[in-house]
Amino acid sequence: MADVRLQAVRKTFGVLDVIKGVDLDIRAGEFVVFVGPSGCGKSTLLRMIAGLEDISEGTLTIGGQTMNDVDPSQRGIAMVFQSYALYPHMTVRENMGFALRFAGMDKQEIARRVQSAARILELEPLLERKPKALSGGQRQRVAIGRAIVRNPKVFLFDEPLSNLDAELRVHMRVEIARLHKELKTTVIYVTHDQVEAMTLADKIVVLRAGQVEQVGAPLDLYDDPANLFVAGFIGAPRINVFTGQVTARLPGAAEVRLDGFAERRLVIPLTGEAPAEGTEIRLGIRPEHLTEGGAESLPIEIDMFEHLGGETFAYGRSRSGETIIVSTRNGRHLKAGQVLAAGFDASKALLFDAAGLRIR
Amino acid sequence: MSLSATTPVTGAPARPFLRHLERAGLYLALSVAAFLSVFPFLWMLVSATNSSGEIIRGKLGLGDQFWINLDNFMTQVDLPLVMWNSAKVAVLSTVLTIAVSSLAGYGFEMFRSKMRERLYSLVLLTLMVPFAALMIPLFMMIGQAGLINTHIAILLPSIASAFIIFYFRQATKAFPTELRDAARVDGLKEWQIFLFIYVPVMRSTYAAAFVIVFMTSWNNYLWPLIVLQSNETKTITLVVSALASAYYPDFGVVMIGTILATLPTLIVFFVMQRQFVAGMLGSVK
Repeated sequence: MADVRLQAVRKTFGVLDVIKGVDLDIRAGEFVVFVGPSGCGKSTLLRMIAGLEDISEGTLTIGGQTMNDVDPSQRGIAMVFQSYALYPHMTVRENMGFALRFAGMDKQEIARRVQSAARILELEPLLERKPKALSGGQRQRVAIGRAIVRNPKVFLFDEPLSNLDAELRVHMRVEIARLHKELKTTVIYVTHDQVEAMTLADKIVVLRAGQVEQVGAPLDLYDDPANLFVAGFIGAPRINVFTGQVTARLPGAAEVRLDGFAERRLVIPLTGEAPAEGTEIRLGIRPEHLTEGGAESLPIEIDMFEHLGGETFAYGRSRSGETIIVSTRNGRHLKAGQVLAAGFDASKALLFDAAGLRIR
Repeated sequence: MSLSATTPVTGAPARPFLRHLERAGLYLALSVAAFLSVFPFLWMLVSATNSSGEIIRGKLGLGDQFWINLDNFMTQVDLPLVMWNSAKVAVLSTVLTIAVSSLAGYGFEMFRSKMRERLYSLVLLTLMVPFAALMIPLFMMIGQAGLINTHIAILLPSIASAFIIFYFRQATKAFPTELRDAARVDGLKEWQIFLFIYVPVMRSTYAAAFVIVFMTSWNNYLWPLIVLQSNETKTITLVVSALASAYYPDFGVVMIGTILATLPTLIVFFVMQRQFVAGMLGSVK
């Protein structure tokens, strides 16, 4: 278990800036998830930590030691890949013990470690099989086992569950969380799935275009996003966004008017100073905060539904054309074409400026 | 009531006669093609049992001259020596070509460099140059190096094969880069990744390349004809050709030689048939 620190880390491919200066502190034993859309640089950043990509600028330290130019095998890391990357010509046992054998470890110690990891991951009956004789979930467990036997200071996971079906993904997610609890090793985990990020992470790092947008605990990011991108990326279904303008500055609040609802004035409480009158704003309201009750209410015409059993997602449009999602536990009676008075509590609404930055 | 009894058949109406006719035509065409392919081989086997005169007269039946032809062949040719020469040249050439060309193919695919594609294009361009154009300068170079009448003269020009480099590069495109990454994390150096991961994973590709290069090398005629002038160094293809171009060739003996020259390539092909097919389809599934 070791801490990981990135200071002004950059990665350039020719003239292309892929990672544009990342500063990050990861405490020993922490489960950190890098999350962001495709191409945001999260996998590249992970590969830089692993030593599979050079660091163009900045410093990477693991356990207090600078690792910029250290060979991947000497960094005290172990990595689990999206495609498992198991050696197809070796059995599960050989796959798991390969790195140790190569490091010149005693055969008995290799056997002990492989056996121990196999027991933790319930792989004992599969040890003599080749990867092609395993299911996706079993392969992933072998890949994790291969990482465990090395007893690393830091586990790196690169979208490890992306190739699994939905049910297995949930199962493996729980397995990984259990494993982290058991081994207490630092974990850096890359995913584009915000549900994985929310459920696994002690700390989420939201990345966009090679930059860190926000770092924080999952619920902190959910409740208090720094900008519209984070608000949109964290939370499923996506946050609803209305456009509008500030109509008045009030003490500790801003009065706003939303496009398409000119007759309504909403008072949004703020801890700081309200923006000037006439400022363009974006108002974000999470789908579960739009209900049929609430202090404020907006008429939304419903187009379609997704009934999930326990809850219903109703899709509609605001009068200015934005897609609005209402999440309700009591939506079986709703009908398409019906106008829903979507109410919400103004204290739950999140205010952003036109550039998407949060106004608190 | 079963589903098949109640469900109407949809699509085109069944026309068994036309379908049978189509199939018969197909089998006929395939049979003709198969016969044309196999006939020279059969003719070679049958002719080896006939005398030269019978062969010239066009006899297609089995004869009783096989042992006589074989005896004549053995008296005219030092079979162990020419077979050893051919085997030595073919095996060494195959091993060296595959070793060098697979390394080159791996390198071209794995390592990013500004010059990579330009260099690769140059390698591919050499495929366009006919061997006839290279023969004389190559002969002069080999002559100046004092290598005429040595097997090294055959090995050297064949080692870096543009086609096999191309073949390995194409096959390497299917080699998962994550395996290389995993191996690097496991502490392997680049040469170890090549040797312990790439080679075993790509073994079908290697098998297919082995068959191709071995056959090409074993059947190689023109270049050995130019550089191997002493009887001690000649390969079986040269010896058979010499038998056929005698003033009064004994075609029965020639056919024995042809059979013996064909046997090793047949054995290699049949032993590695499965791996060859798998390699042509791609090693990595």
